Amino acid sequence: MAVAGGIGVITFREPIRCVLSLVVVMIALSILFLLLSAQFVFVVQIIVYAGAVMVLFLFVIALLGPAREAAKGRLRFQGWLSALFVLVLLGLIWTMLQGVQYRQPEQTDLSIFGTVQSIGIGLFTTYLYPFELTSLLLLVAAIGAIYLSRRSSDDR
Amino acid sequence: MSTLDIGGSQLDTSWFLLLGAVLFTLGAAGVLIRRNPLVILISIELMLNAVNLTLITFSRQLQNIEGQLFALMAMTVAAAEAVVGLAILVDIFRVRDVEDIDDLSEMKG
Repeated sequence: MAVAGGIGVITFREPIRCVLSLVVVMIALSILFLLLSAQFVFVVQIIVYAGAVMVLFLFVIALLGPAREAAKGRLRFQGWLSALFVLVLLGLIWTMLQGVQYRQPEQTDLSIFGTVQSIGIGLFTTYLYPFELTSLLLLVAAIGAIYLSRRSSDDR
Repeated sequence: MSTLDIGGSQLDTSWFLLLGAVLFTLGAAGVLIRRNPLVILISIELMLNAVNLTLITFSRQLQNIEGQLFALMAMTVAAAEAVVGLAILVDIFRVRDVEDIDDLSEMKG
């Protein structure tokens, strides 16, 4: 699954294939979530990400038309520089992973861990305030998207 | 290093973390190398997903539900970010054709 994800990401050439390979990555990741006993996050990942967000991307691509990418960039050394930067970043994260010390896990019941019940208890008691802030954030995003798309249709 | 008991078989935690790191790095490479603004947004989504994987891995390792809650919050923020980013992108594309993100750098200081 990890190999499928990696290959799916690397094989991007044009935007539509890029989106479809990202869907492959997301489904592989959702299966990993299920392995890590996060059932609710698994379902949300499938529905929200692989469903809604990706369909949104596909709609935008269909709206804009297939824009092929220019092979040549303006900066000549951009590819090499960014490859170097990315390798340094990977090495940094790798060394950080080597030094991870794990705390002793808190003993919870794994049979209800990650179910809708435990997620709901956490979300509606301890984290009620951030949850409400999230709803406000979604409202602002919806209003912003509608405003952005309406203003330009009024102009012309 | 610590192992997780998944379905009766033991699996090392660091594999999940390593996969998250690799996916995050691929997303960063996409942001740096690709020139299409749409693909850059997609790469950002990839990085957010990698971070979600790391959060959920640590949540399972520490057997603490808060990591999963935070991953859900990150998903919401990512969805909002995608919506607004795509709306801005469509708005820009309506005015003119942009094939290169550098075409937009007309604000000179």
